[in-house]
Amino acid sequence: MRKLLVLVLSVMVLLVFAKERIVINSYMSDPAPRKALAELVEMFQQKYPEYEVVVNTFAHEDFKVLLRTWLASPKGTADVVTWFAGERMRYFAEMGLIVPVEEVFEGSKWEDYFPEAFKSTCSYKDKIYFIPQSWYWWGVYYRKSVFEKLGIKEPKTWDEFLQVCETLKRNGIVPITIGTKFPWTAAGWFDILNLRINGLDYHIALTAGEVPYTDPKLMKVFEYWRQLIDRGYLLPNHTAYEWQEAATFLFRGQAGMYYMGQFIKDVAPAEVKDDLDFFRFPIIDPNVALYEETPIDGFMIPANAPNKKGAIVFLRFIASKEAQEKFAKDLGRLAANVEVAPPDEHARKGLDMILASAGVAQFYDRDTNPEMAEVGMNAFIEFMQNPNRIGDILKRLEAERKRIYGK
Amino acid sequence: MNPSHGRPARGFWGDLMKKRLTPYLFLAGPLALYFIWVIYPIFRTIVASFTRWDGMTRPRFVGWENFVRLFNDRYFILSLLNNFKWMIGFVILSIPLGLLFAMLMDQKYPGHRIYKSLVYLPMALSFVVIGQIWSWVLEPAGGIVNTFFRWIGLESLAKPWLSDPKIVTYSLIWAALWRQIPYAMVLFLAGLQSVDKEHVEAAIVDGANAFQRFWYVILPELRPAMVIAVTVNIIDSLRAFDIVFVMTRGGPYYSSSVMANYMYIQAFHNYRMGYGAAIAVIQFLITFGFILVYVLNVLKREERI
Repeated sequence: MRKLLVLVLSVMVLLVFAKERIVINSYMSDPAPRKALAELVEMFQQKYPEYEVVVNTFAHEDFKVLLRTWLASPKGTADVVTWFAGERMRYFAEMGLIVPVEEVFEGSKWEDYFPEAFKSTCSYKDKIYFIPQSWYWWGVYYRKSVFEKLGIKEPKTWDEFLQVCETLKRNGIVPITIGTKFPWTAAGWFDILNLRINGLDYHIALTAGEVPYTDPKLMKVFEYWRQLIDRGYLLPNHTAYEWQEAATFLFRGQAGMYYMGQFIKDVAPAEVKDDLDFFRFPIIDPNVALYEETPIDGFMIPANAPNKKGAIVFLRFIASKEAQEKFAKDLGRLAANVEVAPPDEHARKGLDMILASAGVAQFYDRDTNPEMAEVGMNAFIEFMQNPNRIGDILKRLEAERKRIYGK
Repeated sequence: MNPSHGRPARGFWGDLMKKRLTPYLFLAGPLALYFIWVIYPIFRTIVASFTRWDGMTRPRFVGWENFVRLFNDRYFILSLLNNFKWMIGFVILSIPLGLLFAMLMDQKYPGHRIYKSLVYLPMALSFVVIGQIWSWVLEPAGGIVNTFFRWIGLESLAKPWLSDPKIVTYSLIWAALWRQIPYAMVLFLAGLQSVDKEHVEAAIVDGANAFQRFWYVILPELRPAMVIAVTVNIIDSLRAFDIVFVMTRGGPYYSSSVMANYMYIQAFHNYRMGYGAAIAVIQFLITFGFILVYVLNVLKREERI
């Protein structure tokens, strides 16, 4: 009898304490975002003690490769995965590998949480598949103290920009740092030059595979890019470095500028962080409106998630003001939630820049098909090292575009 | 029953069991595993190489399309050529140097065990660790190699080892050799144990100098070790992946790519499983050719014995 009682009691104890598991696979592998997510999970568990959240973190580049294996396997393990809005999300939605997350908005609607402008980027066929967490801008980052010492003012036009490069170079500082061991950093340059020269509509058509890479208008992008290469303004041997390694040249004052996303602050040492500032990429053609790059990061639910109900609860928390505010504050990013104000002066400046823009793009490898992005980005690196080959490079890209898009 | 044997009498079936079936029963386990983990995946890869498949939706049969495309793909051709560079580098450097170290380490002198361990040390590291170490050593701005060249005033020798498409593959091969040479050394050290000491002593009595002893007595007796070392090196060079993946990911723009690495990019990064499978099939055929040569060589020797 005693034994039975013990058994019954222990089962009851187990039932009370048995928690429902939510598994999150995350690419937030840099220390700062990783910590921010861990603290968010802690907040969630305090609010919903019936859930136990497990976070699996993967290096960014590995995550991109692994995600597809997780999504495609018949038995899923992750309930929530981090990802990017736009084409890269739609790619999976189209194949039915992720599920709509509209239950998150039960009793409310998208507009109560997020800007109307984000809705289409997070949707596929009028259904929402993506919960945005934060977004950020790209800008030309520099160290205020270095610019001050050399009497440099933020350049507004391309000519001023070239002058700044020249001043930096004369003072023994590499004007522009970039690390292209992983080639997406070069895509940033391609995007912004194309946006400044040919505008947003053209850029979107190009990344959607509708414009030939041999289009003469595109050639102009490489002509401007070339000016920086031919004058030796870029970090030598940039293919040997990852983006973080290239950033250290800026942090140490050996390089002057870095066209990069706001997340550069995640890897900046404390003593440099406040010295970092950015300016809007200079105007090239005054007749083209100002467009910027603003990638949106967030979460989605795999179709094979074992605990979809828990995933929805977690995403509802992620969408909430408190969660978005916490994440934005920790990392200085902009929250997707409309009720959250920019966390600091720096973010305010970024938001103002975007609000004063005529439109935004996501990013080359987020707007275009993954396969095209891979060959495209490698082609940009080949161009950066061999500017004379550009004609041949673009011809090859065009052949790839035809094969991939079949038109 | 014959008491002197102390074994139970065997009938026809017992005989059959013992002589014919038992070996196969013992083999059945390993063979089943071999079939599941080696033969079946090879078969599946060959089937996949004739399809267009993104790894998620249904594969579509496309005949020889992937293979035709491959031989018009400049980056695949480049990867193939790079594999041959690896092969040549492995054979002409790791064999003679491995042999040299083996000859040196085979002597008995004070501290020879310490030297042996030091040379052997890289073998204890995985390729991923070696790749990381050499990435730092060859780092263009502050890496030890370039720092050294600048320090002794040979600025012109401080090269962008991992970012110049012309030299990047050689830098990677060098990093791999750091581990491959001790490996060859171990193979030769084992081979040297089987060299008949009496032959060497006889040669000394006959007045052969050190070189003659090496060339006419030791080297011929090392032939089996040599065959193994060369084949293993060739096969290792063909499956090169880790070092490339860690140090350059095949970059800049595929210039240091090798077949395995290019297959990985195509299959798992670009989601072209069929195309990746076709690369794997070609790599398999080339490797298989060398393995066949090796196996035939071993069989021939066994026959002689």
